[in-house]
Amino acid sequence: MQTYILHRLGIAVLTLFGMSLVIFVLMRLAPGDIVDILFAAAGYVNESDKKLIMKELGLDQPIWVQYLTWLRDIVSGDLGKSYRYDVSAWQIIRPLLPVTLELAALATLISVLLGVPAGVVSAVRQDTALDYALRVFSLAGLSMPAFWLGMVIILVLVVWLGWIPPLTYVSPAENLRIHLVQFLLPALAVGYRSSALLMRITRSAVLEVMREDYIRTAWAKGQSERIVIWRHALKNAILPVVTVIGIEFAFLIGGLVVTETVFNLPGVARFLVQAILWRDYPIVQNLVMFIAIVVVLSNLLVDLMYGWLDPRVRYGD
Amino acid sequence: MATERTVTDTGLELVRPSVVGPSQAGVGTTLLRFCRKKPLGAAGGILMILMVLTALFAEVLSTHDPIATDAANTLAVPGAQHWLGSDHLGRDIYSRIVHGARVSLIVGVLSTLFGSVLGGIVGLLSAYFGGKTDLITQRILDILQGLPLLVLALVMSASLGPAVHNVVIAISIPIIPRAARVVRASVLSIREMQYVEAARALGIQHLRIAFRHILPNTMGTFLVLSTAQLGSAILVEATLSFLGLGVPEPYPSWGRMLSVSAAEYAQRAPHLVLFPGIAISLAVFGSNLLGDALRDTLDPRLRGR
Amino acid sequence: MPRLPITIALLALTLVVLVGTPAVSQAPKSGGVLNVMQRGDLAQGFSIHETATIDTVWPSAPCFNNLVLFDPAKPVESMDTIVPELAEKWSWQDNYRNLVFLLRKGVKWHDGQPFTAKDVKHTFDMVREAKDAPAKFRINPRKDWYANVEAIEAPDPHTVIFRLKRPQPSLLMMLASGYSPVYPAHVPAAEFRTRCVGTGPYKVKEWKKGEYIEYVRNPDYWVKGRPYLDGLKYIVIVERGTRFAALQAGRLDVSFPGEATKPIADQLKASGAKLTFTEVGANVNDNLLMNVKKPPFDNVKVRRAMSLAIDRRGYAKAVHQGGAVAGVAMQPKPYGVWGLLEKDLNQLPGYGKPAEDKAQARKLLAEAGFTPTNPLKVEIKTRAITLYLDFSAFVVNELKLVGVETALSQIETAQWHPLVTRRDYQMGTNLTGLGIDDPDGNFYENFACGSPRNYTDYCDEQVMKMIDQQSQERDAKKRLAMVWQIQRKLEEDAARPTMGWRIDYFPQWAYVKNLIPHHNIYNYGRLQDVWMDK
Repeated sequence: MQTYILHRLGIAVLTLFGMSLVIFVLMRLAPGDIVDILFAAAGYVNESDKKLIMKELGLDQPIWVQYLTWLRDIVSGDLGKSYRYDVSAWQIIRPLLPVTLELAALATLISVLLGVPAGVVSAVRQDTALDYALRVFSLAGLSMPAFWLGMVIILVLVVWLGWIPPLTYVSPAENLRIHLVQFLLPALAVGYRSSALLMRITRSAVLEVMREDYIRTAWAKGQSERIVIWRHALKNAILPVVTVIGIEFAFLIGGLVVTETVFNLPGVARFLVQAILWRDYPIVQNLVMFIAIVVVLSNLLVDLMYGWLDPRVRYGD
Repeated sequence: MATERTVTDTGLELVRPSVVGPSQAGVGTTLLRFCRKKPLGAAGGILMILMVLTALFAEVLSTHDPIATDAANTLAVPGAQHWLGSDHLGRDIYSRIVHGARVSLIVGVLSTLFGSVLGGIVGLLSAYFGGKTDLITQRILDILQGLPLLVLALVMSASLGPAVHNVVIAISIPIIPRAARVVRASVLSIREMQYVEAARALGIQHLRIAFRHILPNTMGTFLVLSTAQLGSAILVEATLSFLGLGVPEPYPSWGRMLSVSAAEYAQRAPHLVLFPGIAISLAVFGSNLLGDALRDTLDPRLRGR
Repeated sequence: MPRLPITIALLALTLVVLVGTPAVSQAPKSGGVLNVMQRGDLAQGFSIHETATIDTVWPSAPCFNNLVLFDPAKPVESMDTIVPELAEKWSWQDNYRNLVFLLRKGVKWHDGQPFTAKDVKHTFDMVREAKDAPAKFRINPRKDWYANVEAIEAPDPHTVIFRLKRPQPSLLMMLASGYSPVYPAHVPAAEFRTRCVGTGPYKVKEWKKGEYIEYVRNPDYWVKGRPYLDGLKYIVIVERGTRFAALQAGRLDVSFPGEATKPIADQLKASGAKLTFTEVGANVNDNLLMNVKKPPFDNVKVRRAMSLAIDRRGYAKAVHQGGAVAGVAMQPKPYGVWGLLEKDLNQLPGYGKPAEDKAQARKLLAEAGFTPTNPLKVEIKTRAITLYLDFSAFVVNELKLVGVETALSQIETAQWHPLVTRRDYQMGTNLTGLGIDDPDGNFYENFACGSPRNYTDYCDEQVMKMIDQQSQERDAKKRLAMVWQIQRKLEEDAARPTMGWRIDYFPQWAYVKNLIPHHNIYNYGRLQDVWMDK
């Protein structure tokens, strides 16, 4: 068990290392002069100023030195200095993290609450009108662009109610009710989208389990339908569902990118879009790295939970 | 890896399907059976066919030049002259949506194809050769797959600049690992089959075995994958264009139709927001429905039910 | 707006008549935090001197003071509306060669240090990049405004003298701009990118990156009893739809300068929210760039034909839904003070009857050798932003009508200024925002031979002479006549044809008082007299 965890951890670290390289190289493919883009707000930067700025930002160094500097910054914990803000990237990124993590957690919760029951019902009532309706409903959510859904929500709110959620972050300590109101709508928008995946997994898992002999036996023994499903089927279907919840995180964070922007929530994803447009490399690199870490960790967690939930899975590779 | 499941960014899960034998029945009967068994999938198929036809015959179907401005008819409400209304520059929304189908489909299909084929090849070779090659390839794919598709596409399209081919590249790269995973899993199961063993015993070259004998048998998997990815590619294109990082003017793109100006006029002219959004949703919905049904059909565990 | 029940309205009217005082002259109320719209986060922090964007000037202005300022209460900005700020008095000496400022006493920086003449000299020596300047800005976009300053002297702590190489009355205009705050000498300029130490009516409380900028009232402000408000909160909202939904829903109290176009204003008016709208010129124009160094635009006939082809009145209607006005190089009246009169405007290419102008354009093109069988083909470059694209779409259509074939190519937004500065284009569609409504501020930057921002490279000796002459002219009437003449000449030569001037409909909630938008987006951000009737 311990060696397995160590092994998985080792792979995770290696993966993250590789990701850092990919992100770093990707950001530097950009055509045109980085200084011109960084200081577009000043209109025009002359050549001698440009040289000074490159030096100040460490952009005159060879690429590999810049990469190593970044790795050193990560290890030291300050993550390097933002080009745009002149302060350490960590100082900027830190307040963004709880917002995105909470939103992601809330959206996951909503997607489970929507997706799992829908999947079970859909499986039990396979090929009935209800099954089709539920599947269409969940796939419809998946098919709508997240930014469009957000736009329509805001539009409907302001036209019908003359009200929209608060625009600056209200912490739960400040006012729990407003905090929840602020997070609920975007979480609902993202959670609804993600629930489609959970629903279809739950549905096929339950369908599969329902074919197993012991379920048939239980059924035949005349236990009421509900008990059979919940006790046996769902218990056995939980494995793939947990897998998906873990993997879903990556998908979910993609959905947050535009949702945070439309609802003006100060999270990682909204800031990332801005930082990409500004070419603030240190911020972009670290934010993408943060997302990568969350994804890798959630996958790791799922792997470990597998063994806990299903003793049949042996640790050993 | 303890998990062999792969998730596309539209959220469709691609469980590793086993070999699907060549169909005994004719194409027509198969189609009919599919329609009867999977009405939702058939509906999705019809949506996709409609979209392809729209894209192909955009010139015939459109009522106006999608780029022509008309100062006298700005923000017109849907009616006889402009079926779906006109935008702030007097451009016909209906014609722009019709032409937008072409842009969405071209970008969607090209990036899906590009990503799936490249990923498919990687998966095929990786699984066939196995051992260290496979291990290293898997780790590299892990790296690419750890990043959400949209985030990766966002970074890439910002880096490469606004142009159609760059958007295609930006969307297709993140598809590669997803495609590779699925194809690899499918190949692994075929590799041990007798006829492959036989071919190997006969001394047929690796590559030839891989492409002649194994590849055809992974086509089913490949089809499911591509259908599912198409929807996600269309969605990512729309999102990139919405954020100003996608397909540039003058091509009418659904995503860009929804950016700045739509939000600005949303209350006065809701049709600016409504119709392009519906167009995107329907296209993605169609590809999701179809992908879903295909997956069910090709997944033996759920077959025959 | 929802109608008040008639009885209440009548009652109110009777009351007003009885009491005899209009509701306008209400005594200001103190307190409250004003929520202000902010389009994007601060670009270089609070370092106004290092940027050229309203995104920085608008939310940084409350921290600072200038020497002099355009009267916040007057929408039109001119030499006559300049009021003292840190300078109590000023006077021109030696025939507009020396400008002497007598500074206010007892003013303190936000960190408690006293304000003196040293701070003024420090700031403007850095801006003009004097040889003995104490430090250097990282980027210095407005150095050219002070090209005429020979020396700045601080003979005592409360006197500053600007010595000029030649008379230049417009110097005062530049100093009154929102772009000309005084920095403290004891704080390194680089620190303004992360914090702000000013003398202004509000102190920075917190800048939450990407989210908001929060100010609190400066209790030691040198104007007693000001500001009225307890604080300001600039809320960054990147998504445009959300931005105006927020204003409409009352999450914001006031708009962002230059953001409210006519359709937005119409929409907000229809929503029933109790907003007031002020129609002001933005001092931002749309203009057509033609590279004078590249054929066929080295031929003035071809340039003129292009200018003739584009119907300016149609432009304002089509591209801005009426939210723009026709005008040439200087902002038109009544928004600006230097604009050409309507009757003169009608004589210029593109301002007459569209059919006649287009026929004339075809004739000129034919004379230059471009006929329907041998049409002129040009590549238009533009910035990949909706503002520019809408404008380009119209130009493409108009040129098509005179037989010019165009190809539109989009440039990523951050690459745009470097590209036109390199003159790497044949034809382009461009936006120009002017910090002040002043001929010197405009002509030297955009039309003078050799200026990096004279993107078309138009260079005419006679025009240069006229620009220098008007700059030194002390008689306002004579100067106006000269400026009119220059504008006509520039437009006839199609140096950089102006398409139109943008109008802002600045919306704010009716309870916000004393925030008077100017006919220039950059110069009314101090907010020291603003209060809320809540």
